[in-house]
Amino acid sequence: MPHESTGHAEHRDSVLDLTFPRHTLVSLAVFAVCWELLSYLAPVLGIPPFAIPSFVKIAKSLATITPVDIVVTLARVIGALLASFVLGLALAMAMYRSESLEKYLHPMIRLLMAVPVVSWILFAVLWFPGVEFRIGFVLVVVCGPVFLIDTLDAMRGVPRELRSMMRSFRPTTLQYFIKLMLPAIVPSIFTSWKVNISLAIRVVTIAELVGAVTGIGHQLSVAQELFSVADVFAWTLVLVALLFLLEAAVVRVETRLLRWRV
Amino acid sequence: MSGPPPIEARGVRKVFRQATTGQSVVAIERLDMTIAPREVVAIVGQTGCGKSTFFDLLIGLEAPTEGSLQIGDKSPFADFDHFRGRIATVFQQDRLLPWRSALDNARLPLELIGLPEAEQRERALTWLNKLGLGNFTNAYPHELSGGMRQRVAIARAFAVQPDILLADEAFGHLDEVTAAELRDTFLKLARECGSTAVLITHQLEEAIGVGDRIVVFGKSAKLLADIHVAQWPKARHGELREAIQATLQGNAPDPRLQTKA
Repeated sequence: MPHESTGHAEHRDSVLDLTFPRHTLVSLAVFAVCWELLSYLAPVLGIPPFAIPSFVKIAKSLATITPVDIVVTLARVIGALLASFVLGLALAMAMYRSESLEKYLHPMIRLLMAVPVVSWILFAVLWFPGVEFRIGFVLVVVCGPVFLIDTLDAMRGVPRELRSMMRSFRPTTLQYFIKLMLPAIVPSIFTSWKVNISLAIRVVTIAELVGAVTGIGHQLSVAQELFSVADVFAWTLVLVALLFLLEAAVVRVETRLLRWRV
Repeated sequence: MSGPPPIEARGVRKVFRQATTGQSVVAIERLDMTIAPREVVAIVGQTGCGKSTFFDLLIGLEAPTEGSLQIGDKSPFADFDHFRGRIATVFQQDRLLPWRSALDNARLPLELIGLPEAEQRERALTWLNKLGLGNFTNAYPHELSGGMRQRVAIARAFAVQPDILLADEAFGHLDEVTAAELRDTFLKLARECGSTAVLITHQLEEAIGVGDRIVVFGKSAKLLADIHVAQWPKARHGELREAIQATLQGNAPDPRLQTKA
């Protein structure tokens, strides 16, 4: 007889639980009240009035947000993440197949991962003339190794029992990867995507600060030059919202694809 | 229709080199045995006697260090692809893919041999029905009990209608009632398919209940006894069990088995 099971529907409901947690609401409200109070008390406390703008000013800044900058940043993030993923996956598969390739590449990958983002941005500025290529390069060189290492670890983590079962049915190399390895590493790939989305959003902003004439990073740079904390706050809110939206999209796909999980 | 080919092991020796110490370990010293087409052979032996190594040689995952292992005129290792869809295995654990439903697990080997999808589904459904899982085709492995998962694994093995069926302690981890029921089903279906079946087990009751022949392995797969179960009337199965037990404990053939042979 089957085990007592929670069933798919119940599992899906728990994953897509959209009730807004009371604790989050309270902490956000407390923060907002404190901010607003500080904005009014700033002159009394000796803080320059522009440093802590009121919500009215922030709302005005939000109203002037240019969607084209959001679209440009989003396109850069998604494009670079896709390129990093394809590159990371292909290299991970090659390294999994060839032990000697792995021995040569693994130390180099670890070395790349240890290089600070700022250094990559400086290298990109010094090496490449095109702004888009610079930003793409920095994103791929930062996110690609994360995809690669996560995928490789996940491939190595596929249970030996499943691998020998699969081999006993004599699949071709392609069938082995498509029917066993890829589905087995999907959960790790989603985790990697969630980590990399957050990383890419932060890195793209820094990369756009240097040399770009469009994008959220550029707008943040302009706001800093104008001493407009309200604009910085507004663009930061947009970045946070973008991050949440992208993560939510990934979770949605993940829930759909991994519905087989307990 | 031609039947399954015979399995012949001639002077098979298998030596492993330990990665940590670099020392050689002889898993199979020298093995000569033949398994006739459609025979159901149970191989028994103590832990570490080389049963599982022989099993890996039969699947073709390993090659003998010396000697030859042939199925018909082909080697399961050197002619690995030739046996696609001809050899199927049931393992100790079900080894189902957790992301596939029972139906999709059962049709996995059919996908690998490239059958049209409709035929894959039909054949997988037929075997799941034969194993009493007709109402659970869309269930994922975690929604099934251990016995049901092992049934899916058996359906997966039978779905390709293989020439050679291999089972490695396939019923050992189940409760006795479920194991006995599955053993009977397995045997019935193997006969129905006309497959040669090789079962590796450490349970003597299982070996006696299922095998046409019982091959007793000693240390390093030394062939201690080769018993044709039909020569032992059912009333003397208790004695047979004791004789095999004594053979395993003494690592030498028990006189009662030699007399019978």
